[in-house]
Amino acid sequence: MTRIIAKLDVKPPYVVKPVHFEGLRKIGSPSELAKKYYDQGADELFYIDIVSSLYQRETLFDQIEEAANELFIPFAAGGGIKSISDFSKMFHIGADKVVINTYAVQEDPSIIDKAAKIFGSQAIVVNIEAKRWNGNWECYTDCGRIQSQKDVLVWASEVEQRGAGEILLQSVDTDGRCRGFDTELASKVVNLVNIPVVVSSGAGSLEDIKTLIEVANPSGVAIASLLHYDRTTIQEIKKYLNNAVMVSQ
Amino acid sequence: MSNIIGIVNYGIAGNIHSVKKAVERAGGKTLVINSPSDFDLVDKLIIPGVGSFKDAMQELENGNFIGPIQEFSKPILGICLGMQILADLGFEFGKTKGLGMIDAEVKPILCDGKIPHMGFNSIKITTPNILLEGVEDKEFYFMHSYEVVNYTDITALTKYNDHSFVSAVHKGNLYGVQFHPEKSREAGIKLLLNFIKL
Repeated sequence: MTRIIAKLDVKPPYVVKPVHFEGLRKIGSPSELAKKYYDQGADELFYIDIVSSLYQRETLFDQIEEAANELFIPFAAGGGIKSISDFSKMFHIGADKVVINTYAVQEDPSIIDKAAKIFGSQAIVVNIEAKRWNGNWECYTDCGRIQSQKDVLVWASEVEQRGAGEILLQSVDTDGRCRGFDTELASKVVNLVNIPVVVSSGAGSLEDIKTLIEVANPSGVAIASLLHYDRTTIQEIKKYLNNAVMVSQ
Repeated sequence: MSNIIGIVNYGIAGNIHSVKKAVERAGGKTLVINSPSDFDLVDKLIIPGVGSFKDAMQELENGNFIGPIQEFSKPILGICLGMQILADLGFEFGKTKGLGMIDAEVKPILCDGKIPHMGFNSIKITTPNILLEGVEDKEFYFMHSYEVVNYTDITALTKYNDHSFVSAVHKGNLYGVQFHPEKSREAGIKLLLNFIKL
């Protein structure tokens, strides 16, 4: 069953909506939105502090704790994770999974191995920000700003080998544009690895979500804009999809 | 009866915060168990679990928790890894001896689906019991790469990609669930309420 996940991109103290990972728009407070999507029936919540890594800012743990407080569904949090103690702190304030990207790509990929050994693979999510380049995809970091010269498919296999339990796959090209997912990218990654892949970036309609699931069959779909702008609700998405593909009720 | 629910605090990752919150939402009183003497203060026990079998057993040993858990005669609920370590033997990162309270072994999930198995799934009750009352048709959140292999104490099974595995067990005062009731919305709160009322 495909998980329907609400994704909050946070630039403290607000949830924002990046367009192409740039040009932020304020949406609301993380705890209010977390509660709203929980009440709508989200299977899970992703909370990404999108500026902590870029500006080397301390992740605002208090705010994450507040957002997690009223949720009785899995809660994944990330942004600016650089050490095992950052992981540990996130778990202690209520995260079930911790999301890492920049540090693992730029500094030390072995942090994935270490974290998986200590906290279990199921708790480690690697965020991959992919951008098309010369017929392939390149990994980006710092919210789609910095190139890494790592090939997305090579990196996806590597993080699986290192013990990641899940991949959050975002597309720098389609993010925030609401014109559909990069389904080719999603299919390639889903078929390549044997860990769950959650696909994000590009949902502009219920049809887009259905197409993604039919074409790529990811383990989860993470939705931001469609929900943030009240263009649909989790209930509507599930109702729509349930006619065609399997989602939980 | 005071009915205090003890939550065993072990390991650096043990996500006791969520379990405590959910038990309190269900109307229960909680006490986080940090030392062996705390076991005398509680009426029921929850063993949460995040991490690996091997580390969990090591942490229980470091905290001198193994004896008090094995001797605890009132109801115990093991959640996910907390249920797995009730078994005799675990195969995660080498072979590790478990608490030996249920005749079972813990092995990797072998199926065509993506591993870890993550997400909401329904349970099929094979032997009804009080813990699962009122949640028979509900879905629960799973997050695991290993499964309990047991033949005698199964109360529910779950199907993942055509592979059936044990999702709940019951033996005497021991209850175990492979899923996370603390992450399973109202169905999970209901199950915890059932446990509180035992």
